[in-house]
Amino acid sequence: MNSRERVLAVLAGETPDTVPIVPVVDGYYAPKVIGRANDECFLDGACMAQALLAARNKYDYDGVLAEMGLGSPPNVLGCPVEIEGNDVPLVVDTVIGGREDLERLQVPDPWADDKMEPVKQLVAAAGGDHFVLGSVRSPFEYAATVRGLIDFMTDFYRDPELVKDLVAACVPVTYAVGKALVEAGVDAIVMKDSFASSSMISPEHYEQFAWHAEAEAIAGFKGLAPVVLHVCRNSMPILTRMAETGADVLEIDSPVDLAAARDALGDKVVLKGNIDAVTVIEKGSVADVEQAVRLAMAAARPGGRFILSTGDSIPVSAPEENVAALVEFGRKYGRY
Amino acid sequence: MSEILEKFQLAIIQGDGDKSVDMAEAIIAEGKATPDEIFDFLAEAMEVVGSRYETGEYFIPEMLRSAEAVEKAMGILEPYMFERRHDQTGIIVMGTVKGDIHNIGKNIIVSALRASGYEVHDLGVNISTDKFVNKVREVNADMLMLSAFTTSTKSALIDIIKSLEREGMRDRIKVISGGASHSEEFAREVGVDGFAKDVKSTLAVCRRLMSEKRA
Repeated sequence: MNSRERVLAVLAGETPDTVPIVPVVDGYYAPKVIGRANDECFLDGACMAQALLAARNKYDYDGVLAEMGLGSPPNVLGCPVEIEGNDVPLVVDTVIGGREDLERLQVPDPWADDKMEPVKQLVAAAGGDHFVLGSVRSPFEYAATVRGLIDFMTDFYRDPELVKDLVAACVPVTYAVGKALVEAGVDAIVMKDSFASSSMISPEHYEQFAWHAEAEAIAGFKGLAPVVLHVCRNSMPILTRMAETGADVLEIDSPVDLAAARDALGDKVVLKGNIDAVTVIEKGSVADVEQAVRLAMAAARPGGRFILSTGDSIPVSAPEENVAALVEFGRKYGRY
Repeated sequence: MSEILEKFQLAIIQGDGDKSVDMAEAIIAEGKATPDEIFDFLAEAMEVVGSRYETGEYFIPEMLRSAEAVEKAMGILEPYMFERRHDQTGIIVMGTVKGDIHNIGKNIIVSALRASGYEVHDLGVNISTDKFVNKVREVNADMLMLSAFTTSTKSALIDIIKSLEREGMRDRIKVISGGASHSEEFAREVGVDGFAKDVKSTLAVCRRLMSEKRA
Protein backbone atom coordinates (compact mmCIF):
# COMPACT_ATOMS: atom_id res chain seq x y z
CA MET A 1 0.00 0.00 0.00
CA ASN A 2 1.59 3.32 -1.02
CA SER A 3 0.93 6.66 0.67
CA ARG A 4 -1.88 7.71 -1.65
CA GLU A 5 -3.63 4.34 -1.38
CA ARG A 6 -3.33 4.57 2.40
CA VAL A 7 -5.20 7.89 2.54
CA LEU A 8 -7.75 6.80 -0.07
CA ALA A 9 -8.48 3.67 1.98
CA VAL A 10 -9.29 5.76 5.03
CA LEU A 11 -11.55 8.02 2.97
CA ALA A 12 -13.35 4.96 1.59
CA GLY A 13 -14.04 3.66 5.08
CA GLU A 14 -11.51 0.83 4.76
CA THR A 15 -8.78 0.00 7.24
CA PRO A 16 -5.33 0.81 5.82
CA ASP A 17 -2.06 -0.94 6.73
CA THR A 18 -1.18 1.92 9.04
CA VAL A 19 -2.61 5.29 10.01
CA PRO A 20 -1.73 7.79 7.26
CA ILE A 21 0.39 10.74 8.31
CA VAL A 22 -0.31 14.10 6.67
CA PRO A 23 1.03 16.93 8.85
CA VAL A 24 0.23 20.55 8.00
CA VAL A 25 3.53 21.35 6.33
CA ASP A 26 2.86 24.42 4.25
CA GLY A 27 4.53 27.63 3.19
CA TYR A 28 5.49 28.50 6.77
CA TYR A 29 7.83 25.52 7.15
CA ALA A 30 8.58 23.92 3.77
CA PRO A 31 10.78 26.67 2.23
CA LYS A 32 13.49 26.18 4.82
CA VAL A 33 13.82 22.54 3.75
CA ILE A 34 15.29 23.79 0.46
CA GLY A 35 17.17 26.64 2.09
CA ARG A 36 14.83 29.37 0.90
CA ALA A 37 13.01 32.10 2.84
CA ASN A 38 9.21 32.03 3.02
CA ASP A 39 8.82 35.23 1.01
CA GLU A 40 10.77 33.79 -1.93
CA CYS A 41 8.44 30.80 -2.19
CA PHE A 42 5.22 32.71 -1.52
CA LEU A 43 6.01 34.86 -4.51
CA ASP A 44 7.27 32.03 -6.69
CA GLY A 45 4.96 29.06 -7.19
CA ALA A 46 7.67 26.80 -8.59
CA CYS A 47 9.79 27.45 -5.51
CA MET A 48 6.86 26.61 -3.22
CA ALA A 49 6.03 23.42 -5.11
CA GLN A 50 9.68 22.38 -4.92
CA ALA A 51 9.78 23.13 -1.18
CA LEU A 52 6.58 21.24 -0.38
CA LEU A 53 7.77 18.20 -2.31
CA ALA A 54 11.23 18.34 -0.76
CA ALA A 55 9.68 18.43 2.72
CA ARG A 56 7.52 15.41 1.93
CA ASN A 57 10.47 13.50 0.49
CA LYS A 58 12.68 14.39 3.43
CA TYR A 59 10.25 13.29 6.15
CA ASP A 60 8.35 10.66 4.13
CA TYR A 61 4.81 11.43 5.28
CA ASP A 62 1.84 10.41 3.15
CA GLY A 63 0.38 13.58 1.68
CA VAL A 64 1.48 16.97 0.43
CA LEU A 65 -0.45 20.22 0.65
CA ALA A 66 -0.69 22.32 -2.50
CA GLU A 67 -1.20 25.83 -1.24
CA MET A 68 -3.23 28.37 -3.16
CA GLY A 69 -0.35 30.78 -2.61
CA LEU A 70 1.48 28.82 -5.27
CA GLY A 71 2.42 31.21 -8.01
CA SER A 72 -0.22 33.77 -7.10
CA PRO A 73 0.52 37.45 -7.32
CA PRO A 74 0.80 38.89 -3.82
CA ASN A 75 -2.86 39.64 -3.25
CA VAL A 76 -6.05 37.94 -2.09
CA LEU A 77 -9.10 38.97 -4.16
CA GLY A 78 -7.49 42.36 -4.76
CA CYS A 79 -6.25 42.86 -1.19
CA PRO A 80 -2.48 43.48 -1.23
CA VAL A 81 -0.38 41.02 0.75
CA GLU A 82 3.05 41.75 2.15
CA ILE A 83 5.58 39.18 3.21
CA GLU A 84 9.15 39.68 4.30
CA GLY A 85 11.68 36.97 5.09
CA ASN A 86 10.11 34.21 7.14
CA ASP A 87 7.25 36.37 8.44
CA VAL A 88 3.67 35.26 8.07
CA PRO A 89 2.08 36.84 4.95
CA LEU A 90 -0.01 39.83 5.93
CA VAL A 91 -3.03 41.22 4.11
CA VAL A 92 -2.32 44.93 4.51
CA ASP A 93 -5.40 46.46 2.95
CA THR A 94 -8.99 45.50 2.30
CA VAL A 95 -11.34 46.00 -0.62
CA ILE A 96 -14.72 45.93 1.14
CA GLY A 97 -15.25 49.14 3.10
CA GLY A 98 -19.01 48.61 3.33
CA ARG A 99 -22.08 47.38 1.49
CA GLU A 100 -21.40 49.77 -1.40
CA ASP A 101 -18.25 47.81 -2.23
CA LEU A 102 -19.90 44.39 -2.50
CA GLU A 103 -20.11 44.64 -6.27
CA ARG A 104 -16.33 45.08 -6.41
CA LEU A 105 -15.95 41.50 -5.30
CA GLN A 106 -15.15 39.49 -8.42
CA VAL A 107 -14.81 35.74 -8.73
CA PRO A 108 -11.17 35.33 -9.80
CA ASP A 109 -9.98 33.19 -12.65
CA PRO A 110 -7.81 30.68 -10.77
CA TRP A 111 -6.02 29.77 -14.00
CA ALA A 112 -4.95 33.35 -14.78
CA ASP A 113 -1.22 34.09 -14.85
CA ASP A 114 -0.46 30.35 -14.87
CA LYS A 115 -1.31 30.17 -11.17
CA MET A 116 -2.32 26.53 -11.36
CA GLU A 117 0.88 25.43 -13.09
CA PRO A 118 2.79 24.79 -9.83
CA VAL A 119 -0.16 22.72 -8.57
CA LYS A 120 0.00 20.63 -11.72
CA GLN A 121 3.76 20.25 -11.26
CA LEU A 122 3.22 19.15 -7.69
CA VAL A 123 0.60 16.59 -8.71
CA ALA A 124 2.83 15.27 -11.50
CA ALA A 125 5.80 14.95 -9.16
CA ALA A 126 3.67 13.13 -6.58
CA GLY A 127 3.14 10.67 -9.39
CA GLY A 128 0.23 8.82 -7.85
CA ASP A 129 2.40 7.70 -4.95
CA HIS A 130 1.47 10.48 -2.58
CA PHE A 131 -1.86 12.07 -1.74
CA VAL A 132 -2.12 15.72 -2.80
CA LEU A 133 -4.41 18.16 -1.02
CA GLY A 134 -5.30 21.55 -2.47
CA SER A 135 -5.90 24.39 -0.06
CA VAL A 136 -8.72 26.92 -0.38
CA ARG A 137 -10.23 29.45 2.02
CA SER A 138 -13.84 29.06 3.09
CA PRO A 139 -16.37 31.75 2.09
CA PHE A 140 -16.37 33.00 5.69
CA GLU A 141 -12.56 33.31 5.70
CA TYR A 142 -12.49 35.05 2.31
CA ALA A 143 -15.15 37.45 3.61
CA ALA A 144 -13.14 38.21 6.74
CA THR A 145 -10.05 38.79 4.62
CA VAL A 146 -11.58 41.22 2.14
CA ARG A 147 -13.42 43.15 4.86
CA GLY A 148 -10.61 43.02 7.43
CA LEU A 149 -10.99 40.73 10.43
CA ILE A 150 -11.73 43.44 12.98
CA ASP A 151 -14.34 45.25 10.88
CA PHE A 152 -15.81 41.91 9.82
CA MET A 153 -16.33 40.76 13.39
CA THR A 154 -17.50 44.18 14.51
CA ASP A 155 -20.15 43.91 11.79
CA PHE A 156 -21.64 40.85 13.54
CA TYR A 157 -23.54 43.29 15.74
CA ARG A 158 -23.23 46.50 13.71
CA ASP A 159 -24.47 45.15 10.38
CA PRO A 160 -25.21 41.40 10.41
CA GLU A 161 -26.92 41.55 7.03
CA LEU A 162 -23.69 42.80 5.47
CA VAL A 163 -21.84 39.84 6.99
CA LYS A 164 -24.38 37.40 5.54
CA ASP A 165 -24.34 39.02 2.10
CA LEU A 166 -20.54 39.21 2.01
CA VAL A 167 -20.10 35.58 3.04
CA ALA A 168 -22.70 34.52 0.46
CA ALA A 169 -20.87 36.51 -2.21
CA CYS A 170 -17.68 34.58 -1.38
CA VAL A 171 -19.21 31.12 -1.93
CA PRO A 172 -18.56 31.25 -5.71
CA VAL A 173 -14.96 32.32 -4.99
CA THR A 174 -14.30 29.27 -2.81
CA TYR A 175 -16.01 27.07 -5.36
CA ALA A 176 -14.04 28.45 -8.34
CA VAL A 177 -10.68 28.01 -6.59
CA GLY A 178 -11.51 24.53 -5.29
CA LYS A 179 -12.78 23.38 -8.67
CA ALA A 180 -9.61 24.63 -10.36
CA LEU A 181 -7.48 22.75 -7.84
CA VAL A 182 -9.36 19.55 -8.66
CA GLU A 183 -8.92 20.20 -12.37
CA ALA A 184 -5.21 20.64 -11.70
CA GLY A 185 -5.22 17.15 -10.26
CA VAL A 186 -5.38 17.35 -6.46
CA ASP A 187 -6.91 14.36 -4.66
CA ALA A 188 -8.80 16.38 -2.05
CA ILE A 189 -9.65 19.95 -1.09
CA VAL A 190 -8.75 21.41 2.29
CA MET A 191 -11.22 24.19 3.04
CA LYS A 192 -9.75 26.39 5.73
CA ASP A 193 -12.20 28.18 7.99
CA SER A 194 -9.77 29.44 10.61
CA PHE A 195 -11.92 32.31 11.89
CA ALA A 196 -14.99 30.12 12.45
CA SER A 197 -13.23 28.70 15.49
CA SER A 198 -15.01 28.62 18.83
CA SER A 199 -11.85 30.26 20.15
CA MET A 200 -12.92 33.33 18.17
CA ILE A 201 -16.68 33.35 17.62
CA SER A 202 -19.62 31.83 19.44
CA PRO A 203 -21.28 28.66 18.16
CA GLU A 204 -24.38 30.81 17.53
CA HIS A 205 -22.42 33.13 15.24
CA TYR A 206 -20.85 30.10 13.54
CA GLU A 207 -24.36 28.90 12.82
CA GLN A 208 -25.57 32.33 11.75
CA PHE A 209 -22.72 33.37 9.50
CA ALA A 210 -20.35 30.50 8.61
CA TRP A 211 -22.11 27.13 8.55
CA HIS A 212 -24.46 27.58 5.60
CA ALA A 213 -21.68 28.85 3.35
CA GLU A 214 -19.46 25.95 4.37
CA ALA A 215 -22.24 23.49 3.58
CA GLU A 216 -23.03 25.17 0.26
CA ALA A 217 -19.41 25.14 -0.88
CA ILE A 218 -18.95 21.51 0.18
CA ALA A 219 -22.15 20.52 -1.64
CA GLY A 220 -20.64 22.11 -4.75
CA PHE A 221 -17.53 19.97 -4.40
CA LYS A 222 -19.49 16.72 -4.06
CA GLY A 223 -18.54 14.43 -6.88
CA LEU A 224 -15.40 16.44 -7.60
CA ALA A 225 -13.18 15.57 -4.61
CA PRO A 226 -13.36 14.79 -0.92
CA VAL A 227 -13.30 17.83 1.35
CA VAL A 228 -11.23 18.33 4.49
CA LEU A 229 -12.75 21.06 6.66
CA HIS A 230 -10.17 22.83 8.83
CA VAL A 231 -11.08 25.00 11.80
CA CYS A 232 -8.31 26.38 14.02
CA ARG A 233 -8.04 26.04 17.81
CA ASN A 234 -11.16 24.95 19.68
CA SER A 235 -13.89 23.50 17.47
CA MET A 236 -15.42 21.12 20.00
CA PRO A 237 -18.68 23.10 20.47
CA ILE A 238 -19.33 23.10 16.71
CA LEU A 239 -17.91 19.71 15.78
CA THR A 240 -21.24 18.01 15.15
CA ARG A 241 -22.38 20.85 12.92
CA MET A 242 -19.05 20.78 11.07
CA ALA A 243 -19.69 17.12 10.30
CA GLU A 244 -23.19 18.01 9.09
CA THR A 245 -21.71 20.26 6.37
CA GLY A 246 -21.00 17.06 4.44
CA ALA A 247 -17.23 17.33 4.86
CA ASP A 248 -15.43 14.00 4.47
CA VAL A 249 -12.67 14.86 6.93
CA LEU A 250 -12.56 17.25 9.88
CA GLU A 251 -9.09 18.65 10.51
CA ILE A 252 -9.11 19.48 14.20
CA ASP A 253 -6.61 21.46 16.21
CA SER A 254 -4.89 20.59 19.47
CA PRO A 255 -7.39 22.16 21.95
CA VAL A 256 -9.96 19.53 20.92
CA ASP A 257 -9.94 16.29 22.89
CA LEU A 258 -9.54 13.69 20.18
CA ALA A 259 -11.29 10.92 22.11
CA ALA A 260 -14.24 13.22 22.90
CA ALA A 261 -14.41 14.20 19.24
CA ARG A 262 -14.50 10.56 18.19
CA ASP A 263 -17.20 9.86 20.78
CA ALA A 264 -19.27 12.79 19.55
CA LEU A 265 -18.99 11.91 15.88
CA GLY A 266 -18.73 8.14 15.81
CA ASP A 267 -17.33 6.95 12.49
CA LYS A 268 -19.38 9.38 10.39
CA VAL A 269 -16.32 11.38 9.32
CA VAL A 270 -12.59 10.93 9.21
CA LEU A 271 -10.71 12.88 11.85
CA LYS A 272 -7.38 14.50 10.97
CA GLY A 273 -5.29 15.88 13.75
CA ASN A 274 -4.32 17.05 16.19
CA ILE A 275 -0.75 17.20 17.50
CA ASP A 276 0.00 20.68 18.87
CA ALA A 277 2.16 22.33 16.22
CA VAL A 278 3.61 24.87 18.66
CA THR A 279 3.78 23.32 22.15
CA VAL A 280 4.80 19.87 20.93
CA ILE A 281 6.40 20.20 17.49
CA GLU A 282 8.01 23.64 17.78
CA LYS A 283 8.84 23.81 21.47
CA GLY A 284 8.66 20.23 22.73
CA SER A 285 11.23 17.44 22.81
CA VAL A 286 11.29 14.23 20.79
CA ALA A 287 9.90 12.50 23.89
CA ASP A 288 7.02 15.00 23.92
CA VAL A 289 6.29 14.20 20.29
CA GLU A 290 6.27 10.47 21.03
CA GLN A 291 3.91 10.93 23.96
CA ALA A 292 1.53 13.14 21.94
CA VAL A 293 1.48 10.72 19.00
CA ARG A 294 0.92 7.73 21.29
CA LEU A 295 -2.05 9.45 22.96
CA ALA A 296 -3.54 10.56 19.65
CA MET A 297 -3.31 7.04 18.26
CA ALA A 298 -4.91 5.58 21.36
CA ALA A 299 -7.79 8.02 21.04
CA ALA A 300 -8.51 7.88 17.32
CA ARG A 301 -6.73 4.98 15.58
CA PRO A 302 -9.28 2.25 16.45
CA GLY A 303 -11.84 1.93 13.70
CA GLY A 304 -9.59 3.25 10.99
CA ARG A 305 -11.09 6.65 10.29
CA PHE A 306 -8.07 8.66 11.33
CA ILE A 307 -5.23 10.60 9.70
CA LEU A 308 -2.41 11.67 11.99
CA SER A 309 -1.56 15.33 11.55
CA THR A 310 -0.59 18.45 13.34
CA GLY A 311 -3.55 20.57 14.39
CA ASP A 312 -2.27 23.51 12.38
CA SER A 313 0.73 24.73 10.37
CA ILE A 314 4.15 23.67 11.62
CA PRO A 315 6.08 26.86 12.42
CA VAL A 316 9.32 27.68 10.63
CA SER A 317 11.37 27.33 13.82
CA ALA A 318 10.22 23.76 14.56
CA PRO A 319 13.28 21.51 14.96
CA GLU A 320 13.86 18.93 12.23
CA GLU A 321 14.10 16.09 14.72
CA ASN A 322 10.57 16.79 15.99
CA VAL A 323 9.07 16.73 12.49
CA ALA A 324 10.95 13.50 11.82
CA ALA A 325 9.76 12.11 15.17
CA LEU A 326 6.13 12.81 14.26
CA VAL A 327 6.49 10.47 11.28
CA GLU A 328 8.68 7.94 13.08
CA PHE A 329 6.30 7.51 16.00
CA GLY A 330 3.28 7.81 13.73
CA ARG A 331 4.51 4.70 11.93
CA LYS A 332 5.44 2.98 15.19
CA TYR A 333 2.06 3.44 16.87
CA GLY A 334 -0.15 3.60 13.78
CA ARG A 335 0.05 0.07 12.48
CA TYR A 336 -3.22 -1.88 12.20
CA MET B 1 -23.29 60.32 40.19
CA SER B 2 -22.36 56.71 40.75
CA GLU B 3 -25.63 55.71 39.06
CA ILE B 4 -24.52 57.38 35.83
CA LEU B 5 -21.11 55.74 36.11
CA GLU B 6 -22.76 52.38 36.70
CA LYS B 7 -24.92 52.85 33.60
CA PHE B 8 -21.78 53.89 31.71
CA GLN B 9 -20.12 50.70 32.88
CA LEU B 10 -23.07 48.54 31.89
CA ALA B 11 -23.20 50.13 28.42
CA ILE B 12 -19.56 49.15 27.88
CA ILE B 13 -20.03 45.60 29.18
CA GLN B 14 -23.05 45.15 26.91
CA GLY B 15 -21.25 46.82 24.03
CA ASP B 16 -23.93 49.48 23.56
CA GLY B 17 -22.06 52.30 21.80
CA ASP B 18 -24.98 54.73 21.68
CA LYS B 19 -25.64 54.38 25.37
CA SER B 20 -21.95 54.67 26.30
CA VAL B 21 -21.87 58.02 24.43
CA ASP B 22 -25.04 59.19 26.17
CA MET B 23 -23.60 58.27 29.55
CA ALA B 24 -20.26 59.93 28.74
CA GLU B 25 -22.14 63.13 27.93
CA ALA B 26 -24.13 62.80 31.14
CA ILE B 27 -20.91 62.39 33.14
CA ILE B 28 -19.51 65.62 31.68
CA ALA B 29 -22.82 67.48 32.12
CA GLU B 30 -22.90 66.59 35.79
CA GLY B 31 -19.19 67.34 36.17
CA LYS B 32 -18.74 65.56 39.48
CA ALA B 33 -16.68 62.48 38.61
CA THR B 34 -12.94 62.80 38.81
CA PRO B 35 -10.78 61.34 36.03
CA ASP B 36 -9.64 58.67 38.48
CA GLU B 37 -13.22 57.62 39.17
CA ILE B 38 -14.04 57.48 35.48
CA PHE B 39 -10.94 55.40 34.84
CA ASP B 40 -11.76 53.02 37.65
CA PHE B 41 -15.25 52.39 36.29
CA LEU B 42 -13.92 52.06 32.75
CA ALA B 43 -11.19 49.64 33.82
CA GLU B 44 -13.67 47.59 35.85
CA ALA B 45 -16.00 47.36 32.85
CA MET B 46 -13.18 46.16 30.61
CA GLU B 47 -12.15 43.65 33.25
CA VAL B 48 -15.66 42.21 33.25
CA VAL B 49 -15.53 41.99 29.45
CA GLY B 50 -12.12 40.30 29.66
CA SER B 51 -13.23 37.79 32.25
CA ARG B 52 -16.35 36.95 30.24
CA TYR B 53 -14.02 36.25 27.29
CA GLU B 54 -11.84 34.03 29.44
CA THR B 55 -14.81 32.03 30.71
CA GLY B 56 -16.20 31.55 27.22
CA GLU B 57 -19.25 33.75 27.70
CA TYR B 58 -17.89 36.36 25.30
CA PHE B 59 -15.97 35.85 22.06
CA ILE B 60 -14.01 38.25 19.89
CA PRO B 61 -17.07 39.98 18.34
CA GLU B 62 -18.41 40.73 21.84
CA MET B 63 -14.99 42.09 22.88
CA LEU B 64 -14.93 44.26 19.77
CA ARG B 65 -18.46 45.51 20.47
CA SER B 66 -17.37 46.64 23.93
CA ALA B 67 -14.12 48.08 22.59
CA GLU B 68 -16.11 50.14 20.11
CA ALA B 69 -18.35 51.40 22.93
CA VAL B 70 -15.24 52.48 24.85
CA GLU B 71 -13.73 54.15 21.81
CA LYS B 72 -16.91 56.14 21.16
CA ALA B 73 -17.17 57.19 24.80
CA MET B 74 -13.53 58.19 24.96
CA GLY B 75 -14.09 60.51 22.01
CA ILE B 76 -16.38 62.48 24.37
CA LEU B 77 -14.42 62.02 27.59
CA GLU B 78 -10.83 62.46 26.42
CA PRO B 79 -10.71 66.29 26.31
CA TYR B 80 -12.59 66.53 29.62
CA MET B 81 -10.25 64.12 31.34
CA PHE B 82 -7.12 65.61 29.81
CA GLU B 83 -8.02 69.06 31.14
CA ARG B 84 -8.23 67.69 34.65
CA ARG B 85 -5.19 65.49 34.69
CA HIS B 86 -1.66 66.71 34.08
CA ASP B 87 0.27 64.84 36.70
CA GLN B 88 1.53 61.88 34.72
CA THR B 89 3.01 63.43 31.65
CA GLY B 90 5.52 61.62 29.55
CA ILE B 91 6.14 61.21 25.86
CA ILE B 92 5.06 57.93 24.31
CA VAL B 93 5.55 56.55 20.83
CA MET B 94 3.06 53.84 20.01
CA GLY B 95 2.11 51.60 17.13
CA THR B 96 1.20 48.09 16.05
CA VAL B 97 4.29 46.17 15.02
CA LYS B 98 5.17 44.94 11.55
CA GLY B 99 3.11 41.91 10.69
CA ASP B 100 0.01 43.08 12.50
CA ILE B 101 -2.77 45.37 11.34
CA HIS B 102 -5.09 45.25 14.33
CA ASN B 103 -5.84 48.67 15.69
CA ILE B 104 -8.87 48.65 17.98
CA GLY B 105 -6.97 47.67 21.12
CA LYS B 106 -4.24 50.14 20.33
CA ASN B 107 -6.73 52.95 19.71
CA ILE B 108 -8.38 52.39 23.07
CA ILE B 109 -5.02 52.51 24.84
CA VAL B 110 -4.03 55.67 22.94
CA SER B 111 -7.25 57.35 24.06
CA ALA B 112 -6.75 56.26 27.66
CA LEU B 113 -3.14 57.45 27.72
CA ARG B 114 -3.97 60.82 26.20
CA ALA B 115 -6.80 61.22 28.66
CA SER B 116 -4.27 60.53 31.40
CA GLY B 117 -2.08 63.37 30.23
CA TYR B 118 0.56 61.58 28.20
CA GLU B 119 1.77 62.99 24.90
CA VAL B 120 1.14 60.06 22.55
CA HIS B 121 2.55 59.78 19.04
CA ASP B 122 0.43 57.10 17.36
CA LEU B 123 2.24 55.74 14.30
CA GLY B 124 -0.60 53.41 13.23
CA VAL B 125 -0.41 49.74 12.23
CA ASN B 126 2.13 47.43 10.54
CA ILE B 127 4.99 49.74 11.53
CA SER B 128 8.58 48.87 10.63
CA THR B 129 11.41 48.82 13.14
CA ASP B 130 13.07 51.83 11.49
CA LYS B 131 9.91 53.93 11.80
CA PHE B 132 9.62 53.17 15.51
CA VAL B 133 13.29 53.90 16.19
CA ASN B 134 13.30 57.10 14.14
CA LYS B 135 10.20 58.45 15.86
CA VAL B 136 11.58 57.65 19.32
CA ARG B 137 14.69 59.63 18.42
CA GLU B 138 12.76 62.51 16.82
CA VAL B 139 10.45 63.17 19.78
CA ASN B 140 12.89 62.03 22.49
CA ALA B 141 10.28 59.62 23.81
CA ASP B 142 10.20 58.31 27.37
CA MET B 143 8.34 55.15 26.45
CA LEU B 144 7.78 53.01 23.40
CA MET B 145 4.57 50.99 23.36
CA LEU B 146 4.40 48.12 20.93
CA SER B 147 1.02 46.68 20.23
CA ALA B 148 0.75 43.14 18.88
CA PHE B 149 -2.54 41.26 18.65
CA THR B 150 -0.91 37.85 18.25
CA THR B 151 2.29 36.28 19.52
CA SER B 152 3.29 35.48 15.92
CA THR B 153 4.76 38.98 15.82
CA LYS B 154 7.39 38.06 18.40
CA SER B 155 10.27 38.39 15.92
CA ALA B 156 9.19 41.95 15.10
CA LEU B 157 9.28 42.87 18.80
CA ILE B 158 12.73 41.34 19.25
CA ASP B 159 13.97 43.16 16.16
CA ILE B 160 12.88 46.52 17.60
CA ILE B 161 14.62 45.86 20.92
CA LYS B 162 17.83 44.86 19.13
CA SER B 163 17.67 47.93 16.94
CA LEU B 164 17.30 50.22 19.97
CA GLU B 165 20.34 48.51 21.48
CA ARG B 166 22.37 48.92 18.28
CA GLU B 167 21.50 52.62 18.16
CA GLY B 168 22.56 53.09 21.78
CA MET B 169 19.03 54.16 22.76
CA ARG B 170 17.89 51.21 24.84
CA ASP B 171 18.97 52.64 28.22
CA ARG B 172 17.04 55.86 27.65
CA ILE B 173 13.69 54.38 26.79
CA LYS B 174 11.20 52.13 28.54
CA VAL B 175 9.60 49.61 26.21
CA ILE B 176 6.18 48.09 26.82
CA SER B 177 4.51 45.41 24.75
CA GLY B 178 0.77 45.02 24.78
CA GLY B 179 -1.96 42.80 23.42
CA ALA B 180 -4.53 40.28 24.49
CA SER B 181 -2.19 37.35 23.95
CA HIS B 182 0.71 38.78 25.96
CA SER B 183 2.07 37.28 29.16
CA GLU B 184 4.91 37.92 31.54
CA GLU B 185 6.82 35.02 29.99
CA PHE B 186 6.35 36.44 26.50
CA ALA B 187 7.54 39.88 27.65
CA ARG B 188 10.62 38.36 29.27
CA GLU B 189 11.47 36.38 26.14
CA VAL B 190 11.13 39.45 23.97
CA GLY B 191 13.11 41.67 26.36
CA VAL B 192 10.68 44.51 27.05
CA ASP B 193 10.46 46.41 30.36
CA GLY B 194 6.79 45.74 30.91
CA PHE B 195 3.69 44.31 29.34
CA ALA B 196 0.02 45.15 29.48
CA LYS B 197 -3.13 43.28 28.55
CA ASP B 198 -5.72 45.99 29.03
CA VAL B 199 -6.38 49.63 29.93
CA LYS B 200 -5.88 49.20 33.66
CA SER B 201 -2.59 47.33 33.42
CA THR B 202 -1.32 49.73 30.76
CA LEU B 203 -1.84 52.76 32.98
CA ALA B 204 -0.31 50.96 35.94
CA VAL B 205 2.79 49.89 34.06
CA CYS B 206 3.20 53.38 32.57
CA ARG B 207 3.07 54.97 36.02
CA ARG B 208 5.61 52.46 37.34
CA LEU B 209 8.05 52.86 34.46
CA MET B 210 7.81 56.66 34.45
CA SER B 211 8.60 56.65 38.19
CA GLU B 212 11.60 54.39 37.57
CA LYS B 213 12.76 56.63 34.75
CA ARG B 214 12.54 59.77 36.86
CA ALA B 215 14.18 58.16 39.88
